[in-house]
Amino acid sequence: MVTGWPRKRSHRGCRTLTAVDPGGATRNVRSRASVMVKKKQPRLIAEMARKIRAYRELKSRPRESQKYALDYGTMKRPHTGKMLPVLAWQDVRRESRLFSLLAGMRLFGVGRLFTRKSWLADHTEPSYWQITKVKVDYTSENMDHGKAWGVLTLKGKQESEVKEVDKVMYHDWRLVPKHVEQQLKDFEPAPEPPVRYVPYPPLLRAMLLAKHKRAAGSVLAEEPLLPLQRDVLLSKDYFRRQEQEAIKREGTAV
Amino acid sequence: MAASIWKRCATAAVKVKCLSASLPARRWLLSSAYTDATVWEAREKDPQNLALLATTMDRTYDRNLPVSSLSVSRFVDNISSREEIDQAEYYLYKFRHSPNCWYLRDWTIHSWIRQCLKYGAKEKALHTVKNKVQYGIFPDDFTFNLLIDFYIKDGDFKSACSVVEEVMLQEAFDLPSTQIVSLYAMSSYQATRPQLAVSEERALGASLLICGLQQDNTVGLSAQLLGNALLGKVEMLEGIHAVFRGMPLFWGHGYLGRALAVMERAAASSGDVRLTKDALDYMNDLLQELSSTSDSDASGAESVGEEEEQEEKEEEEENVKKEDQMDEADQAERAKLPQYVTRFKELSSQLESEGKVDSASFQDSVSALAQQNLAAAEKPDLEQYLSRVQAWEADNRQLIAREKEMRKKAEEEKRERLAAKAAAQQA
Repeated sequence: MVTGWPRKRSHRGCRTLTAVDPGGATRNVRSRASVMVKKKQPRLIAEMARKIRAYRELKSRPRESQKYALDYGTMKRPHTGKMLPVLAWQDVRRESRLFSLLAGMRLFGVGRLFTRKSWLADHTEPSYWQITKVKVDYTSENMDHGKAWGVLTLKGKQESEVKEVDKVMYHDWRLVPKHVEQQLKDFEPAPEPPVRYVPYPPLLRAMLLAKHKRAAGSVLAEEPLLPLQRDVLLSKDYFRRQEQEAIKREGTAV
Repeated sequence: MAASIWKRCATAAVKVKCLSASLPARRWLLSSAYTDATVWEAREKDPQNLALLATTMDRTYDRNLPVSSLSVSRFVDNISSREEIDQAEYYLYKFRHSPNCWYLRDWTIHSWIRQCLKYGAKEKALHTVKNKVQYGIFPDDFTFNLLIDFYIKDGDFKSACSVVEEVMLQEAFDLPSTQIVSLYAMSSYQATRPQLAVSEERALGASLLICGLQQDNTVGLSAQLLGNALLGKVEMLEGIHAVFRGMPLFWGHGYLGRALAVMERAAASSGDVRLTKDALDYMNDLLQELSSTSDSDASGAESVGEEEEQEEKEEEEENVKKEDQMDEADQAERAKLPQYVTRFKELSSQLESEGKVDSASFQDSVSALAQQNLAAAEKPDLEQYLSRVQAWEADNRQLIAREKEMRKKAEEEKRERLAAKAAAQQA
């Protein structure tokens, strides 16, 4: 209850308090409560307006050609008015977007390989996308924008699923000519080095050994080793599960 | 019916072959059986009123509904005059900029090129093929062959070379007939010694390289050498990015080095593979020209004349801008030029000593190759074309049947809706 704040409701509440009644307190609270927490009226027109606004926003989504249009003179995007980062300017002038290459090809380049200049600079192993499906934005002038799906081969390791091609609108893409395709595909990635193991820190090791002794009754024969590589996706679910498991376990070892 | 047409084509081909053996020089390459339009005209016709089709398409576009590829193919098939070709071009453009642009049929494109050539609109055909992004015209190999041959017949080697450039951009040098015809066009164009701008040189070099990679003989290797040399010249003048931008070319530096590698391969190969003399001469001239321009650039930067100061300043500004565009890698490439010159001299003397230099000119070797191999290459093409035409007809019939079904279904639904509305109104 906020005191010293001019409110009509509190006045009303105070007035009922003055009546002396054995069951008055409860009745007062109920009536005060009913006055304070008014039942929320459903605002139908506001709901409808919200739905209409959501629908209109859905309908007026900018097309890819509008979103990613670029003024090459000032390096600004007319849609948002933002300027591209300076380190990208040279690339934007020299290289081309993926769909600028796809527009001039039969069947929009389905089945062809495309690399990115940044991959060529960063990795020595070949990385490329093989395009399987294309959805072009037909409102663009030179069929310059759209979405593409394909199979990625990163650093020589091919993935198994078709995914949407990332960063299609970046001025970074290069077509792999047919006479160079075989050279890229023939590359065999070096096998991954085996996972290294390392002894645990001393306190943690002592805890593990004590826990094992308590649980099994005998001393652990082999040294517990910590793998230096863990295939665990650290997400909120993972941490929540870990907490729940920790709660189930009782106390600490040692 | 198809069998009798095939027999007719075969006998016509045989007749032409006998004739060609007696003629000393051929003005055209592909046999008349290849360019014959009888098979194409003998398809079943689907007569439609063009004005009606046009109005239907306009109304569909106005209502923002997708136009089917069938209507566009019907429009192109039923063209009967030159003005209608312009109208068809407009509708092809609109179709390309609609959601159905993917579904433009192969037979529509083939039919479009044939109609353009029939009604004397070859510039229009070339214009649509060059602006393939806007019109969506991606002809298949047979159609490309027809188009190149048409230009060769007219003696217009420059346009034939632009068509070959389009073939290169699609990397469609799969059929041996396409390779032979394009090499012929390019060699004839080269023989006329035209003055080429840098972009034209780049296009010609790229087409020569990619076409030559498919062939493994004298002609092929010489074409590869010429192609690499031209691309190396562009690389020296403007940097590697100007070479592979927009073209299906490898982005690695050192095209001149690759030209020298072709010469090494020719020298090291044990077969009858040789390099034509005029290709080697051309490369020699090119290297001399490049080294002289690089020397003059170096000397021009040092000397400053008083009267020409302003001109020099403008030139220097241009040079500075160009040098900004050039990377260090490009500068390193330019520095290797003297090494290339010495290596070229070594390799050419080695080739001459091994007797691997063919004295016939590039054009003559290509014509010889054409006379030997073209007839053999045409036969499988023709067979494939006939089977493809039949497949297209089957697809066309299927599309027409599907359209009829959809119309029937739409009418039934409309009738049901009207009946339901009438029933609701009565009740």
